[in-house]
Amino acid sequence: MSQPVAAISIQGLTKDFSVTLRGVKLRAVDALNLEVAEGQVYGLLGPNGSGKSTTIKIILGLLDATVGDVRVFGVPANRVEARRNVGYLPEAPYFYRYLSGRELVKFYARVCGVSGSRLRTRVDEVIDWVGLSGAADRRVGTYSKGMLQRIGLAQALVHDPKLIVLDEPTAGVDPVGSAEMCELILKLKQQGKTVLITSHLLAQIEDVCDRVAILDRGKLIVEGSVLELVGQRDRQALIVDPLPEADLEALRGWLAARGHSLNAVEQPRARLDQLFLSKVSRPGRPGGASAGVGSNEVPLDAKP
Amino acid sequence: MSVASVPFSFSRLSLIAGNTFLEAVRQKLFNFLLLLAVGLVASAQFFREFNFGSSELKFISDFGFGALIFFGSALTIATTAQLFFSEIENRTALTLLAKPLWRAEFVFGKFLGVFAVIGVFCALTIGLMMALLWHREGQLMNIRPEDFANGRLIAYGDLLVVGVLQWLKFGVLAAIVLLIASFSNTNLFTVVTGFFVLVICHLQYLARDAWGNVDNAVLGLVVRALGFIFPNFQLFNLADQIGQGSGLSPVVALQVAGYAVAYIGVIGGLAVYSFRNREI
Ligand SMILES: Nc1ncnc2c1ncn2[C@@H]1O[C@H](COP(=O)(O)OP(=O)(O)OP(=O)(O)O)[C@@H](O)[C@H]1O
Ligand SMILES: [Mg+2]
Repeated sequence: MSQPVAAISIQGLTKDFSVTLRGVKLRAVDALNLEVAEGQVYGLLGPNGSGKSTTIKIILGLLDATVGDVRVFGVPANRVEARRNVGYLPEAPYFYRYLSGRELVKFYARVCGVSGSRLRTRVDEVIDWVGLSGAADRRVGTYSKGMLQRIGLAQALVHDPKLIVLDEPTAGVDPVGSAEMCELILKLKQQGKTVLITSHLLAQIEDVCDRVAILDRGKLIVEGSVLELVGQRDRQALIVDPLPEADLEALRGWLAARGHSLNAVEQPRARLDQLFLSKVSRPGRPGGASAGVGSNEVPLDAKP
Repeated sequence: MSVASVPFSFSRLSLIAGNTFLEAVRQKLFNFLLLLAVGLVASAQFFREFNFGSSELKFISDFGFGALIFFGSALTIATTAQLFFSEIENRTALTLLAKPLWRAEFVFGKFLGVFAVIGVFCALTIGLMMALLWHREGQLMNIRPEDFANGRLIAYGDLLVVGVLQWLKFGVLAAIVLLIASFSNTNLFTVVTGFFVLVICHLQYLARDAWGNVDNAVLGLVVRALGFIFPNFQLFNLADQIGQGSGLSPVVALQVAGYAVAYIGVIGGLAVYSFRNREI
Protein backbone atom coordinates (compact mmCIF):
# COMPACT_ATOMS: atom_id res chain seq x y z
CA MET A 1 0.00 0.00 0.00
CA SER A 2 2.69 2.49 0.98
CA GLN A 3 4.60 1.86 -2.22
CA PRO A 4 4.38 4.82 -4.59
CA VAL A 5 2.27 4.18 -7.68
CA ALA A 6 4.28 3.70 -10.84
CA ALA A 7 3.64 6.19 -13.63
CA ILE A 8 3.25 3.27 -16.01
CA SER A 9 2.94 -0.34 -15.06
CA ILE A 10 2.65 -3.05 -17.69
CA GLN A 11 2.13 -6.65 -16.70
CA GLY A 12 2.05 -9.59 -19.06
CA LEU A 13 1.05 -7.45 -22.02
CA THR A 14 0.44 -9.30 -25.27
CA LYS A 15 -1.05 -7.73 -28.36
CA ASP A 16 -2.12 -9.66 -31.44
CA PHE A 17 -3.25 -8.09 -34.69
CA SER A 18 -5.19 -10.13 -37.20
CA VAL A 19 -3.44 -9.35 -40.42
CA THR A 20 -5.24 -11.53 -42.95
CA LEU A 21 -8.83 -12.35 -43.62
CA ARG A 22 -8.24 -15.94 -42.54
CA GLY A 23 -7.49 -14.64 -39.07
CA VAL A 24 -3.74 -15.21 -39.05
CA LYS A 25 -2.39 -13.33 -36.06
CA LEU A 26 0.65 -11.17 -35.80
CA ARG A 27 2.07 -10.86 -32.31
CA ALA A 28 3.23 -7.26 -32.03
CA VAL A 29 3.90 -7.31 -28.28
CA ASP A 30 4.73 -10.50 -26.43
CA ALA A 31 4.37 -10.99 -22.67
CA LEU A 32 5.85 -7.61 -21.84
CA ASN A 33 6.48 -6.49 -18.27
CA LEU A 34 7.59 -2.92 -17.64
CA GLU A 35 7.47 -0.45 -14.83
CA VAL A 36 8.21 3.26 -15.23
CA ALA A 37 8.63 5.06 -11.92
CA GLU A 38 7.42 8.61 -11.51
CA GLY A 39 10.01 11.26 -12.39
CA GLN A 40 12.04 9.07 -14.72
CA VAL A 41 12.97 9.60 -18.33
CA TYR A 42 12.46 6.17 -19.81
CA GLY A 43 13.65 5.09 -23.24
CA LEU A 44 11.90 2.41 -25.24
CA LEU A 45 14.23 1.14 -27.93
CA GLY A 46 14.07 -1.47 -30.62
CA PRO A 47 14.30 -2.01 -34.35
CA ASN A 48 11.46 -1.13 -36.72
CA GLY A 49 8.37 -3.17 -36.08
CA SER A 50 9.44 -4.31 -32.64
CA GLY A 51 6.22 -3.11 -31.03
CA LYS A 52 7.20 0.22 -29.51
CA SER A 53 4.39 2.26 -30.98
CA THR A 54 1.91 -0.52 -30.31
CA THR A 55 2.89 -0.56 -26.64
CA ILE A 56 2.50 3.21 -26.47
CA LYS A 57 -0.91 3.12 -28.10
CA ILE A 58 -2.07 0.58 -25.55
CA ILE A 59 -0.79 2.80 -22.75
CA LEU A 60 -2.93 5.60 -24.20
CA GLY A 61 -6.01 3.45 -24.60
CA LEU A 62 -5.97 3.79 -28.40
CA LEU A 63 -5.61 0.02 -28.72
CA ASP A 64 -6.91 -2.66 -26.42
CA ALA A 65 -4.54 -5.22 -24.94
CA THR A 66 -5.16 -8.79 -26.07
CA VAL A 67 -3.90 -10.05 -22.70
CA GLY A 68 -2.38 -8.24 -19.79
CA ASP A 69 -2.79 -5.37 -17.41
CA VAL A 70 -1.66 -1.86 -18.27
CA ARG A 71 -2.04 0.96 -15.77
CA VAL A 72 -1.21 4.63 -15.83
CA PHE A 73 -0.77 6.06 -12.33
CA GLY A 74 -2.68 3.05 -11.13
CA VAL A 75 -5.69 3.55 -13.42
CA PRO A 76 -6.40 0.92 -16.12
CA ALA A 77 -5.20 2.36 -19.41
CA ASN A 78 -8.48 1.85 -21.26
CA ARG A 79 -10.36 4.20 -18.93
CA VAL A 80 -10.83 7.82 -19.90
CA GLU A 81 -9.58 8.95 -16.48
CA ALA A 82 -6.19 7.41 -17.16
CA ARG A 83 -5.54 9.95 -19.89
CA ARG A 84 -6.12 12.96 -17.71
CA ASN A 85 -2.48 13.17 -16.69
CA VAL A 86 -0.92 12.12 -19.97
CA GLY A 87 0.41 14.12 -22.88
CA TYR A 88 1.10 12.30 -26.14
CA LEU A 89 3.11 13.10 -29.24
CA PRO A 90 2.40 10.43 -31.88
CA GLU A 91 5.06 9.30 -34.34
CA ALA A 92 5.22 11.33 -37.54
CA PRO A 93 2.53 13.64 -36.16
CA TYR A 94 0.07 15.31 -38.42
CA PHE A 95 -2.38 17.93 -37.30
CA TYR A 96 -5.40 19.83 -38.60
CA ARG A 97 -3.70 21.67 -41.41
CA TYR A 98 -6.43 24.27 -41.65
CA LEU A 99 -5.71 25.63 -38.17
CA SER A 100 -2.91 27.94 -37.18
CA GLY A 101 -0.39 26.64 -34.67
CA ARG A 102 -1.90 28.73 -31.91
CA GLU A 103 -5.48 27.67 -32.74
CA LEU A 104 -4.36 24.06 -32.72
CA VAL A 105 -2.77 24.21 -29.29
CA LYS A 106 -5.76 26.15 -28.00
CA PHE A 107 -8.17 23.54 -29.35
CA TYR A 108 -6.35 20.72 -27.57
CA ALA A 109 -6.04 22.78 -24.41
CA ARG A 110 -9.81 23.29 -24.33
CA VAL A 111 -10.43 19.60 -25.02
CA CYS A 112 -8.28 18.93 -21.95
CA GLY A 113 -10.40 21.31 -19.91
CA VAL A 114 -8.02 24.27 -19.70
CA SER A 115 -10.19 27.37 -19.68
CA GLY A 116 -10.56 31.00 -18.80
CA SER A 117 -7.56 33.27 -18.40
CA ARG A 118 -5.31 30.27 -17.90
CA LEU A 119 -6.09 29.15 -21.43
CA ARG A 120 -4.45 32.12 -23.08
CA THR A 121 -1.38 32.28 -20.89
CA ARG A 122 -0.81 28.55 -21.01
CA VAL A 123 -1.11 28.36 -24.80
CA ASP A 124 1.37 31.20 -25.29
CA GLU A 125 3.63 29.70 -22.67
CA VAL A 126 3.98 26.27 -24.29
CA ILE A 127 4.31 27.70 -27.78
CA ASP A 128 7.08 29.91 -26.53
CA TRP A 129 8.59 27.01 -24.66
CA VAL A 130 8.94 24.84 -27.76
CA GLY A 131 10.28 27.82 -29.67
CA LEU A 132 7.46 28.34 -32.15
CA SER A 133 6.31 31.84 -31.19
CA GLY A 134 7.50 33.21 -34.52
CA ALA A 135 5.33 30.80 -36.50
CA ALA A 136 2.34 30.40 -34.20
CA ASP A 137 -0.04 32.25 -36.50
CA ARG A 138 0.85 30.31 -39.61
CA ARG A 139 -1.32 27.45 -40.84
CA VAL A 140 -0.08 24.09 -39.59
CA GLY A 141 -0.30 22.89 -43.20
CA THR A 142 2.72 25.04 -44.01
CA TYR A 143 4.90 23.67 -41.20
CA SER A 144 8.09 21.71 -41.77
CA LYS A 145 8.60 18.31 -40.13
CA GLY A 146 10.62 19.78 -37.29
CA MET A 147 7.98 22.41 -36.65
CA LEU A 148 5.27 19.73 -36.60
CA GLN A 149 7.21 17.89 -33.91
CA ARG A 150 7.48 21.10 -31.92
CA ILE A 151 3.81 22.01 -32.17
CA GLY A 152 3.11 18.38 -31.29
CA LEU A 153 5.16 18.72 -28.16
CA ALA A 154 3.33 21.95 -27.32
CA GLN A 155 -0.09 20.27 -27.58
CA ALA A 156 1.16 17.35 -25.50
CA LEU A 157 2.24 19.69 -22.69
CA VAL A 158 -0.54 22.22 -22.76
CA HIS A 159 -2.62 20.72 -19.93
CA ASP A 160 0.49 20.27 -17.77
CA PRO A 161 0.36 16.46 -17.60
CA LYS A 162 2.46 14.41 -15.21
CA LEU A 163 3.40 11.83 -17.83
CA ILE A 164 4.56 12.71 -21.32
CA VAL A 165 4.76 10.03 -24.00
CA LEU A 166 6.87 10.90 -27.02
CA ASP A 167 6.96 8.50 -29.97
CA GLU A 168 10.07 9.31 -31.99
CA PRO A 169 10.09 13.03 -31.25
CA THR A 170 13.32 13.51 -33.17
CA ALA A 171 12.44 11.58 -36.34
CA GLY A 172 13.04 13.84 -39.31
CA VAL A 173 14.40 16.63 -37.14
CA ASP A 174 17.82 18.11 -37.85
CA PRO A 175 20.64 17.76 -35.30
CA VAL A 176 20.08 21.26 -33.94
CA GLY A 177 16.40 20.57 -33.48
CA SER A 178 16.92 17.19 -31.90
CA ALA A 179 19.57 18.56 -29.53
CA GLU A 180 17.00 21.15 -28.50
CA MET A 181 14.38 18.45 -28.11
CA CYS A 182 16.78 16.71 -25.72
CA GLU A 183 17.24 19.93 -23.76
CA LEU A 184 13.46 20.26 -23.49
CA ILE A 185 13.15 16.68 -22.26
CA LEU A 186 15.78 17.31 -19.61
CA LYS A 187 13.89 20.42 -18.54
CA LEU A 188 10.73 18.35 -18.22
CA LYS A 189 12.62 15.95 -16.02
CA GLN A 190 13.75 18.86 -13.84
CA GLN A 191 10.11 19.84 -13.45
CA GLY A 192 9.49 16.38 -12.06
CA LYS A 193 7.66 15.00 -15.10
CA THR A 194 7.83 11.39 -16.18
CA VAL A 195 8.80 10.98 -19.83
CA LEU A 196 8.48 7.87 -21.97
CA ILE A 197 10.35 8.23 -25.22
CA THR A 198 11.13 6.04 -28.22
CA SER A 199 13.86 6.82 -30.69
CA HIS A 200 16.31 5.24 -33.08
CA LEU A 201 19.00 7.77 -32.24
CA LEU A 202 20.67 5.80 -29.51
CA ALA A 203 23.27 8.45 -28.70
CA GLN A 204 20.49 10.88 -27.81
CA ILE A 205 18.58 8.34 -25.78
CA GLU A 206 21.74 7.67 -23.88
CA ASP A 207 22.12 11.36 -23.06
CA VAL A 208 18.61 11.92 -21.71
CA CYS A 209 17.30 8.63 -20.36
CA ASP A 210 17.61 7.28 -16.84
CA ARG A 211 16.46 3.84 -17.83
CA VAL A 212 15.96 2.03 -21.09
CA ALA A 213 14.21 -1.09 -22.30
CA ILE A 214 15.06 -2.78 -25.56
CA LEU A 215 12.32 -4.63 -27.43
CA ASP A 216 12.78 -7.08 -30.24
CA ARG A 217 9.81 -8.64 -32.01
CA GLY A 218 7.64 -7.59 -29.15
CA LYS A 219 9.76 -9.21 -26.48
CA LEU A 220 11.71 -7.42 -23.80
CA ILE A 221 15.40 -8.17 -24.34
CA VAL A 222 17.19 -5.81 -21.97
CA GLU A 223 16.02 -3.50 -19.23
CA GLY A 224 17.98 -1.39 -16.82
CA SER A 225 19.48 1.96 -15.95
CA VAL A 226 21.67 3.50 -18.62
CA LEU A 227 24.66 3.66 -16.27
CA GLU A 228 24.38 -0.01 -15.40
CA LEU A 229 24.03 -1.03 -19.00
CA VAL A 230 26.75 0.97 -20.72
CA GLY A 231 29.04 2.34 -18.00
CA GLN A 232 32.45 0.60 -17.97
CA ARG A 233 33.45 0.76 -14.35
CA ASP A 234 36.70 -1.12 -14.81
CA ARG A 235 38.09 1.48 -17.16
CA GLN A 236 39.10 5.13 -16.99
CA ALA A 237 40.13 7.64 -19.63
CA LEU A 238 42.78 10.33 -19.10
CA ILE A 239 42.93 13.13 -21.60
CA VAL A 240 46.35 14.79 -21.85
CA ASP A 241 48.42 17.08 -24.11
CA PRO A 242 50.15 15.25 -27.00
CA LEU A 243 53.03 13.21 -25.49
CA PRO A 244 56.30 12.46 -27.28
CA GLU A 245 57.03 8.75 -27.78
CA ALA A 246 59.70 8.76 -25.06
CA ASP A 247 57.35 10.19 -22.43
CA LEU A 248 54.71 7.67 -23.41
CA GLU A 249 57.20 4.86 -22.82
CA ALA A 250 58.10 6.35 -19.45
CA LEU A 251 54.42 6.50 -18.55
CA ARG A 252 53.93 2.86 -19.48
CA GLY A 253 56.88 1.97 -17.25
CA TRP A 254 55.49 4.06 -14.41
CA LEU A 255 52.08 2.39 -14.70
CA ALA A 256 53.59 -1.09 -15.00
CA ALA A 257 55.59 -0.53 -11.82
CA ARG A 258 52.28 0.04 -10.02
CA GLY A 259 50.57 -2.96 -11.54
CA HIS A 260 48.46 -1.06 -14.14
CA SER A 261 48.57 -1.17 -17.88
CA LEU A 262 47.96 1.41 -20.56
CA ASN A 263 45.28 -0.14 -22.74
CA ALA A 264 44.88 2.35 -25.54
CA VAL A 265 46.34 5.52 -26.91
CA GLU A 266 44.06 7.30 -29.34
CA GLN A 267 43.40 10.66 -30.77
CA PRO A 268 40.11 11.91 -29.33
CA ARG A 269 37.75 13.22 -31.99
CA ALA A 270 34.90 15.62 -31.71
CA ARG A 271 31.62 13.91 -32.58
CA LEU A 272 30.19 15.01 -35.89
CA ASP A 273 27.02 16.21 -34.29
CA GLN A 274 28.98 18.43 -31.92
CA LEU A 275 30.84 19.89 -34.88
CA PHE A 276 27.53 20.42 -36.67
CA LEU A 277 26.02 22.10 -33.65
CA SER A 278 28.98 24.45 -33.22
CA LYS A 279 28.98 25.50 -36.89
CA VAL A 280 25.28 25.80 -37.70
CA SER A 281 23.59 29.00 -36.70
CA ARG A 282 21.18 28.75 -33.80
CA PRO A 283 18.95 31.79 -33.80
CA GLY A 284 18.64 31.10 -30.14
CA ARG A 285 16.94 32.64 -27.23
CA PRO A 286 18.44 32.54 -23.77
CA GLY A 287 16.08 29.69 -22.95
CA GLY A 288 17.85 27.46 -25.43
CA ALA A 289 15.20 26.62 -28.00
CA SER A 290 15.39 28.52 -31.24
CA ALA A 291 12.55 29.87 -33.29
CA GLY A 292 12.41 26.53 -34.99
CA VAL A 293 12.50 28.08 -38.39
CA GLY A 294 15.38 28.85 -40.70
CA SER A 295 16.68 32.35 -40.08
CA ASN A 296 15.67 33.39 -43.58
CA GLU A 297 12.01 32.72 -42.77
CA VAL A 298 11.81 34.68 -39.59
CA PRO A 299 11.02 38.17 -40.83
CA LEU A 300 8.42 36.92 -43.28
CA ASP A 301 6.24 34.81 -41.08
CA ALA A 302 4.99 37.43 -38.69
CA LYS A 303 1.59 37.27 -40.36
CA PRO A 304 -0.33 34.17 -41.40
CA MET B 1 -4.88 6.26 -5.74
CA SER B 2 -8.31 7.40 -6.70
CA VAL B 3 -8.66 9.54 -9.78
CA ALA B 4 -11.57 11.88 -10.31
CA SER B 5 -13.82 10.58 -13.04
CA VAL B 6 -14.20 12.42 -16.32
CA PRO B 7 -17.89 13.19 -16.87
CA PHE B 8 -19.42 13.33 -20.33
CA SER B 9 -19.03 16.91 -21.42
CA PHE B 10 -21.17 18.86 -23.84
CA SER B 11 -18.53 21.55 -24.08
CA ARG B 12 -15.98 19.04 -25.38
CA LEU B 13 -18.61 17.69 -27.73
CA SER B 14 -19.31 21.16 -29.09
CA LEU B 15 -15.58 21.86 -29.41
CA ILE B 16 -15.28 18.89 -31.72
CA ALA B 17 -18.42 19.90 -33.59
CA GLY B 18 -17.03 23.41 -33.97
CA ASN B 19 -13.72 22.11 -35.22
CA THR B 20 -15.45 19.85 -37.74
CA PHE B 21 -17.52 22.76 -38.98
CA LEU B 22 -14.40 24.92 -39.18
CA GLU B 23 -12.70 22.27 -41.27
CA ALA B 24 -15.55 22.44 -43.77
CA VAL B 25 -15.35 26.24 -43.78
CA ARG B 26 -11.60 26.45 -44.18
CA GLN B 27 -11.48 23.73 -46.81
CA LYS B 28 -13.65 26.03 -48.88
CA LEU B 29 -16.55 23.59 -48.90
CA PHE B 30 -18.98 26.43 -48.42
CA ASN B 31 -17.90 28.25 -51.54
CA PHE B 32 -18.91 25.12 -53.38
CA LEU B 33 -22.20 24.85 -51.51
CA LEU B 34 -23.08 28.43 -52.26
CA LEU B 35 -22.27 27.93 -55.92
CA LEU B 36 -24.39 24.78 -55.98
CA ALA B 37 -27.37 26.44 -54.32
CA VAL B 38 -27.23 29.48 -56.57
CA GLY B 39 -26.82 27.26 -59.63
CA LEU B 40 -29.81 25.14 -58.68
CA VAL B 41 -32.16 27.96 -57.99
CA ALA B 42 -30.98 29.90 -61.01
CA SER B 43 -31.68 26.92 -63.25
CA ALA B 44 -35.24 26.78 -61.92
CA GLN B 45 -35.53 30.38 -63.08
CA PHE B 46 -34.24 29.29 -66.47
CA PHE B 47 -36.78 26.49 -66.89
CA ARG B 48 -39.78 28.58 -65.94
CA GLU B 49 -40.41 29.82 -69.49
CA PHE B 50 -42.02 26.48 -70.33
CA ASN B 51 -45.11 26.87 -68.22
CA PHE B 52 -46.54 30.23 -67.55
CA GLY B 53 -49.02 30.99 -64.82
CA SER B 54 -49.51 30.07 -61.19
CA SER B 55 -48.58 26.43 -61.83
CA GLU B 56 -45.17 27.87 -62.55
CA LEU B 57 -44.78 28.60 -58.84
CA LYS B 58 -45.50 24.98 -58.05
CA PHE B 59 -42.86 24.04 -60.56
CA ILE B 60 -40.25 26.25 -58.92
CA SER B 61 -41.01 24.80 -55.52
CA ASP B 62 -40.98 21.19 -56.81
CA PHE B 63 -37.76 21.79 -58.62
CA GLY B 64 -36.19 23.41 -55.56
CA PHE B 65 -37.14 20.56 -53.25
CA GLY B 66 -36.10 17.95 -55.78
CA ALA B 67 -32.70 19.57 -56.03
CA LEU B 68 -32.47 19.93 -52.25
CA ILE B 69 -33.25 16.25 -51.73
CA PHE B 70 -30.95 14.99 -54.44
CA PHE B 71 -27.92 17.18 -53.84
CA GLY B 72 -28.49 17.31 -50.10
CA SER B 73 -28.37 13.50 -49.89
CA ALA B 74 -25.21 13.27 -51.97
CA LEU B 75 -23.63 16.07 -50.02
CA THR B 76 -24.57 14.53 -46.67
CA ILE B 77 -23.03 11.18 -47.53
CA ALA B 78 -19.87 12.64 -49.03
CA THR B 79 -19.32 15.26 -46.33
CA THR B 80 -19.95 12.93 -43.41
CA ALA B 81 -17.58 10.29 -44.75
CA GLN B 82 -14.97 12.88 -45.66
CA LEU B 83 -15.01 14.73 -42.35
CA PHE B 84 -14.84 11.45 -40.44
CA PHE B 85 -12.10 9.83 -42.47
CA SER B 86 -9.96 12.95 -42.70
CA GLU B 87 -9.58 12.49 -38.97
CA ILE B 88 -8.72 8.78 -39.23
CA GLU B 89 -6.58 8.89 -42.35
CA ASN B 90 -4.54 11.90 -41.26
CA ARG B 91 -4.14 10.23 -37.87
CA THR B 92 -5.34 13.35 -36.09
CA ALA B 93 -7.74 11.01 -34.30
CA LEU B 94 -4.74 9.51 -32.52
CA THR B 95 -3.87 12.78 -30.86
CA LEU B 96 -7.45 13.67 -30.14
CA LEU B 97 -8.55 10.33 -28.69
CA ALA B 98 -5.43 10.22 -26.51
CA LYS B 99 -6.92 13.18 -24.62
CA PRO B 100 -9.33 12.67 -21.74
CA LEU B 101 -12.27 12.48 -24.10
CA TRP B 102 -15.13 10.01 -24.45
CA ARG B 103 -15.51 8.36 -27.81
CA ALA B 104 -19.19 9.26 -27.61
CA GLU B 105 -18.16 12.92 -27.49
CA PHE B 106 -16.08 12.37 -30.60
CA VAL B 107 -18.84 10.63 -32.56
CA PHE B 108 -21.62 13.03 -31.58
CA GLY B 109 -19.26 15.98 -32.06
CA LYS B 110 -18.58 14.85 -35.60
CA PHE B 111 -22.32 14.38 -36.11
CA LEU B 112 -23.20 17.87 -34.94
CA GLY B 113 -20.44 19.42 -37.04
CA VAL B 114 -21.69 17.68 -40.16
CA PHE B 115 -25.30 18.46 -39.28
CA ALA B 116 -24.41 22.16 -39.06
CA VAL B 117 -22.70 22.04 -42.46
CA ILE B 118 -25.78 20.46 -44.04
CA GLY B 119 -27.92 22.98 -42.21
CA VAL B 120 -26.08 25.77 -44.00
CA PHE B 121 -26.69 24.09 -47.34
CA CYS B 122 -30.41 23.63 -46.61
CA ALA B 123 -30.75 27.20 -45.42
CA LEU B 124 -29.03 28.51 -48.54
CA THR B 125 -31.14 26.47 -50.93
CA ILE B 126 -34.46 27.02 -49.19
CA GLY B 127 -33.69 30.69 -48.63
CA LEU B 128 -32.85 31.29 -52.27
CA MET B 129 -35.85 29.30 -53.41
CA MET B 130 -38.22 31.28 -51.21
CA ALA B 131 -36.72 34.55 -52.40
CA LEU B 132 -37.21 33.48 -55.99
CA LEU B 133 -40.80 32.36 -55.35
CA TRP B 134 -41.63 35.60 -53.59
CA HIS B 135 -40.19 37.64 -56.40
CA ARG B 136 -41.96 35.66 -59.14
CA GLU B 137 -45.22 35.58 -57.24
CA GLY B 138 -45.07 39.35 -57.02
CA GLN B 139 -44.63 39.57 -60.77
CA LEU B 140 -47.47 37.14 -61.47
CA MET B 141 -49.77 39.03 -59.13
CA ASN B 142 -49.35 42.03 -61.42
CA ILE B 143 -49.79 40.06 -64.63
CA ARG B 144 -52.81 37.96 -63.60
CA PRO B 145 -54.39 39.51 -60.54
CA GLU B 146 -57.47 37.26 -60.95
CA ASP B 147 -55.44 34.20 -59.83
CA PHE B 148 -54.44 35.95 -56.62
CA ALA B 149 -57.81 37.26 -55.44
CA ASN B 150 -57.11 35.96 -51.93
CA GLY B 151 -53.55 37.27 -51.72
CA ARG B 152 -50.40 35.23 -52.03
CA LEU B 153 -50.79 31.53 -52.78
CA ILE B 154 -47.54 30.17 -51.43
CA ALA B 155 -47.47 29.13 -47.77
CA TYR B 156 -43.95 30.27 -46.97
CA GLY B 157 -44.12 29.10 -43.39
CA ASP B 158 -44.94 25.58 -44.54
CA LEU B 159 -42.07 25.68 -47.02
CA LEU B 160 -39.75 26.50 -44.18
CA VAL B 161 -41.10 23.64 -42.05
CA VAL B 162 -40.64 21.16 -44.88
CA GLY B 163 -37.10 22.47 -45.34
CA VAL B 164 -36.35 21.88 -41.67
CA LEU B 165 -37.78 18.37 -41.91
CA GLN B 166 -35.54 17.65 -44.87
CA TRP B 167 -32.61 18.86 -42.82
CA LEU B 168 -33.57 16.43 -40.05
CA LYS B 169 -33.82 13.66 -42.63
CA PHE B 170 -30.27 14.45 -43.73
CA GLY B 171 -29.37 14.23 -40.05
CA VAL B 172 -30.69 10.65 -40.00
CA LEU B 173 -28.68 9.94 -43.13
CA ALA B 174 -25.54 11.47 -41.58
CA ALA B 175 -26.00 9.27 -38.50
CA ILE B 176 -26.30 6.22 -40.75
CA VAL B 177 -23.12 7.16 -42.62
CA LEU B 178 -21.30 7.68 -39.31
CA LEU B 179 -22.45 4.25 -38.18
CA ILE B 180 -21.03 2.73 -41.36
CA ALA B 181 -17.83 4.76 -41.03
CA SER B 182 -17.38 3.68 -37.42
CA PHE B 183 -16.48 0.16 -38.50
CA SER B 184 -15.48 0.65 -42.12
CA ASN B 185 -11.86 1.02 -43.12
CA THR B 186 -12.21 3.19 -46.18
CA ASN B 187 -13.94 6.31 -47.27
CA LEU B 188 -15.05 4.70 -50.54
CA PHE B 189 -16.75 1.75 -48.88
CA THR B 190 -18.56 4.14 -46.58
CA VAL B 191 -19.80 6.34 -49.41
CA VAL B 192 -20.96 3.42 -51.57
CA THR B 193 -22.73 1.70 -48.69
CA GLY B 194 -24.21 5.03 -47.67
CA PHE B 195 -25.82 5.48 -51.09
CA PHE B 196 -27.08 1.94 -50.99
CA VAL B 197 -28.78 2.51 -47.65
CA LEU B 198 -30.14 5.83 -48.91
CA VAL B 199 -31.89 4.03 -51.76
CA ILE B 200 -33.31 1.44 -49.37
CA CYS B 201 -34.59 4.16 -47.07
CA HIS B 202 -36.32 5.90 -49.95
CA LEU B 203 -37.82 2.79 -51.48
CA GLN B 204 -38.55 0.59 -48.48
CA TYR B 205 -42.17 1.74 -48.41
CA LEU B 206 -42.63 0.09 -51.81
CA ALA B 207 -41.56 -3.23 -50.38
CA ARG B 208 -43.83 -2.74 -47.41
CA ASP B 209 -46.80 -1.92 -49.61
CA ALA B 210 -46.15 -4.86 -51.91
CA TRP B 211 -45.22 -7.61 -49.48
CA GLY B 212 -46.10 -6.37 -46.02
CA ASN B 213 -49.50 -8.08 -46.09
CA VAL B 214 -48.72 -11.23 -48.05
CA ASP B 215 -49.91 -14.55 -46.66
CA ASN B 216 -46.40 -15.79 -46.05
CA ALA B 217 -45.99 -14.80 -42.41
CA VAL B 218 -42.20 -15.07 -42.42
CA LEU B 219 -41.77 -12.88 -45.46
CA GLY B 220 -44.20 -10.36 -44.08
CA LEU B 221 -42.29 -10.24 -40.83
CA VAL B 222 -38.98 -9.75 -42.62
CA VAL B 223 -40.34 -6.91 -44.69
CA ARG B 224 -41.85 -5.23 -41.64
CA ALA B 225 -38.60 -5.68 -39.70
CA LEU B 226 -36.67 -4.08 -42.56
CA GLY B 227 -39.13 -1.24 -42.59
CA PHE B 228 -38.42 -0.77 -38.92
CA ILE B 229 -34.63 -0.99 -39.14
CA PHE B 230 -34.32 1.38 -42.09
CA PRO B 231 -36.04 4.71 -41.57
CA ASN B 232 -38.67 5.53 -44.15
CA PHE B 233 -37.45 8.65 -45.95
CA GLN B 234 -40.69 8.91 -47.89
CA LEU B 235 -42.35 10.26 -44.74
CA PHE B 236 -40.36 13.45 -45.09
CA ASN B 237 -41.72 14.33 -48.52
CA LEU B 238 -44.42 16.69 -47.32
CA ALA B 239 -43.84 19.32 -49.99
CA ASP B 240 -46.85 18.01 -51.95
CA GLN B 241 -49.18 18.80 -49.07
CA ILE B 242 -48.27 22.45 -49.08
CA GLY B 243 -50.99 24.59 -50.52
CA GLN B 244 -53.54 21.76 -50.52
CA GLY B 245 -56.60 22.15 -48.37
CA SER B 246 -55.63 23.24 -44.91
CA GLY B 247 -51.90 23.01 -45.63
CA LEU B 248 -49.31 21.26 -43.56
CA SER B 249 -50.58 19.79 -40.30
CA PRO B 250 -48.39 20.81 -37.37
CA VAL B 251 -49.08 17.47 -35.70
CA VAL B 252 -47.77 15.56 -38.70
CA ALA B 253 -44.73 17.82 -38.89
CA LEU B 254 -43.96 17.26 -35.22
CA GLN B 255 -44.43 13.51 -35.57
CA VAL B 256 -42.04 13.37 -38.49
CA ALA B 257 -39.51 15.49 -36.61
CA GLY B 258 -39.79 13.19 -33.60
CA TYR B 259 -39.34 10.18 -35.89
CA ALA B 260 -36.11 11.71 -37.21
CA VAL B 261 -34.75 12.61 -33.79
CA ALA B 262 -35.48 9.12 -32.48
CA TYR B 263 -33.63 7.50 -35.37
CA ILE B 264 -30.70 9.91 -34.97
CA GLY B 265 -30.48 9.01 -31.28
CA VAL B 266 -30.62 5.27 -31.80
CA ILE B 267 -28.33 5.14 -34.84
CA GLY B 268 -25.89 7.57 -33.20
CA GLY B 269 -25.85 5.36 -30.13
CA LEU B 270 -25.05 2.33 -32.29
CA ALA B 271 -22.26 4.30 -33.98
CA VAL B 272 -20.76 5.12 -30.58
CA TYR B 273 -21.04 1.49 -29.53
CA SER B 274 -19.28 0.31 -32.67
CA PHE B 275 -16.64 3.04 -32.52
CA ARG B 276 -15.92 2.48 -28.84
CA ASN B 277 -13.62 -0.46 -29.42
CA ARG B 278 -12.24 0.60 -32.74
CA GLU B 279 -8.46 0.37 -32.94
CA ILE B 280 -7.09 3.70 -34.02
N1 LIG C 1 -3.07 -1.77 -36.95
C1 LIG C 1 -2.23 -2.79 -37.19
N2 LIG C 1 -2.67 -3.88 -37.85
C2 LIG C 1 -1.84 -4.90 -38.10
N3 LIG C 1 -0.55 -4.94 -37.73
C3 LIG C 1 -0.05 -3.89 -37.08
C4 LIG C 1 -0.85 -2.75 -36.79
N4 LIG C 1 -0.09 -1.85 -36.13
C5 LIG C 1 1.13 -2.39 -36.03
N5 LIG C 1 1.16 -3.62 -36.60
C6 LIG C 1 2.32 -4.52 -36.65
O1 LIG C 1 2.82 -4.67 -35.34
C7 LIG C 1 4.24 -4.70 -35.35
C8 LIG C 1 4.77 -3.65 -34.40
O2 LIG C 1 4.52 -2.37 -34.94
P1 LIG C 1 4.92 -1.03 -34.20
O3 LIG C 1 4.36 0.09 -34.99
O4 LIG C 1 4.52 -1.12 -32.78
O5 LIG C 1 6.50 -1.04 -34.33
P2 LIG C 1 7.55 0.05 -33.87
O6 LIG C 1 8.44 -0.61 -32.89
O7 LIG C 1 6.88 1.30 -33.44
O8 LIG C 1 8.32 0.31 -35.23
P3 LIG C 1 8.94 1.66 -35.83
O9 LIG C 1 10.28 1.82 -35.22
O10 LIG C 1 9.04 1.36 -37.29
O11 LIG C 1 8.02 2.77 -35.52
C9 LIG C 1 4.66 -4.50 -36.78
O12 LIG C 1 4.99 -5.77 -37.33
C10 LIG C 1 3.45 -3.93 -37.45
O13 LIG C 1 3.39 -4.35 -38.79
MG1 LIG D 1 6.84 3.23 -34.07
